[in-house]
Amino acid sequence: MKNKKQLLIAVLIGLGFVVLPLLIEGYWIRVISSIFMYGVVTGALNIIAGFAGYAAFGNVVFFGIGAYSTAMLMLRVGFPWWGGCVIGAILAAFFAVVVGFPVLRLRGHYFAIATLGINRAVEQIALDWGSFTGGGKGITLPLPQMEIQSFYAMIYFILFGLLLLTLLTNFVIARGRLGYALRAIRDDEDAAEASGIFAPSCKVIAWAISAFITGLAGGVFAYWFSFIEPATVFDIMIAVKAFVMMMLGGAGTVMGPVLGAFLLELISETVWGQFLTIHMLILGTIVIGVVIFIPRGMLHLFRQRFSLSALIRNIKNQSI
Amino acid sequence: MALLEGKDLSKFFGALAAVDQVDFQIEAGEVLGLIGPNGAGKTTLVNLVTGVYPLTRGELYFEGRRIDGLKPAVIARMGIARTFQIVKPFPGMTVRENVVVGALFGKGGAQRNIKTAFEEADRWIEFVHLQDYRNDSVDRINISFRKRMDLAKALAMGPTLLMLDEVMAGLNTKDIEEMMALVRRINRELKITLLVIEHVMKAVMGLCQRIIVLHHGRKIADATPQEIVQDERVIEAYLGERYAKARQRSA
Repeated sequence: MKNKKQLLIAVLIGLGFVVLPLLIEGYWIRVISSIFMYGVVTGALNIIAGFAGYAAFGNVVFFGIGAYSTAMLMLRVGFPWWGGCVIGAILAAFFAVVVGFPVLRLRGHYFAIATLGINRAVEQIALDWGSFTGGGKGITLPLPQMEIQSFYAMIYFILFGLLLLTLLTNFVIARGRLGYALRAIRDDEDAAEASGIFAPSCKVIAWAISAFITGLAGGVFAYWFSFIEPATVFDIMIAVKAFVMMMLGGAGTVMGPVLGAFLLELISETVWGQFLTIHMLILGTIVIGVVIFIPRGMLHLFRQRFSLSALIRNIKNQSI
Repeated sequence: MALLEGKDLSKFFGALAAVDQVDFQIEAGEVLGLIGPNGAGKTTLVNLVTGVYPLTRGELYFEGRRIDGLKPAVIARMGIARTFQIVKPFPGMTVRENVVVGALFGKGGAQRNIKTAFEEADRWIEFVHLQDYRNDSVDRINISFRKRMDLAKALAMGPTLLMLDEVMAGLNTKDIEEMMALVRRINRELKITLLVIEHVMKAVMGLCQRIIVLHHGRKIADATPQEIVQDERVIEAYLGERYAKARQRSA
């Protein structure tokens, strides 16, 4: 009964987003598209960081790989945008497998730092290999041969579709064997292995899925903005924002990361668009607020019916 | 052929011999006790068998196959399960989800189907009498329940050999009785071979057919419970040299 009701609400919200472009103007279509994109990046991050508990701060490297692969394949090989996106995502996943086996042996902060290093290294390659990638000047993609309004509407639907794919992936993982393995690894990796879970392969699979989706998002981003440069697509702030969104919504849940993306992007567009200079201050305050007041995310708070006692309990638990 | 056989097992942490040239065997179907003072190397021995630590020297055989050097998950899937001295539940999960992890992976890679794995988990939750708490979050149940949940998780793996690392520790008298009854059922009804590490002597004496005593990493005795309590070296290891000498003089 409860599940049916939830499904109905989900379908209604989904339909709402389908008809929304008819009602809103160009600016808001771009804002919602950007929310979708962050929903995708955050949902992908959730697979490795939320379920498996591996803080992949450098996950943005897959975004950059997806973006650059799409750009290179379109410009140098003449691929259609979607072909570039898919190949870029496959390359990102492959890269995750190659670096994953050594790097996922590290735990905690060491893993987080290693992923940051990988991101910087790949960014440096994109910068220095100017003859191929365009280097620090960036690179311009072929412009779409259509009217700008319908192009933005198309991007909106592509990203909406990607978001649904991300949600579906998270849902399938959460309900399946892989999800239980990842959560067990997050909670206690030694106990997980003692239960017969092949932790290294599970982590690599999770990271590859995460990389694939992030790579797709990067590819669409490149096509959408039709200009990319290393500083934009390897920007660590993309990953930091995704982390804040994931924690805000609820790490390790299916809907939480997407919910977080919506909340934070809406705040960012409506509130700190007005305060450009203290933008980072607000982000920092949100991080601290989340950790203190809702360490398990909004979704958990909703489940506790937003009660004051739940909030107080969260604060009390901090001191322990 | 013994179910599990260790030959000349040694594990050094730097210069410290945590386990030193230990030979032992566990026969299929038996309940073997493993006792010794704190720091004697009991848990290290379990960690060697389960592949958590690599051996410094020696060989391990399970069902006739050599298992030293294999990964913990591989050994677990061969049918060796364990509980942890300091219980290691998955705190982000409910009791039921914790147990289902054992059923989903475990021996032979166990259940690939989530639904049957949950049915399996429910069976073991009932076996350890936790059915009223199965949807509770792990951090909300007490230590006695956590120990039983850990046991259910290990049983859900469908092991041939189960190693219980101090499952009685921290329990009150009534809980110890219940746990002993469970351990007996596991051995007699489920035909699971058991290695029991325990400090609660009543439990060791009541459950085990044979006991191995470790002291400073070395095996100092391997005999029936009746013989163990008479063994001078064991008394010395447990109660101190002075007590043993005083006892010898008075005898």
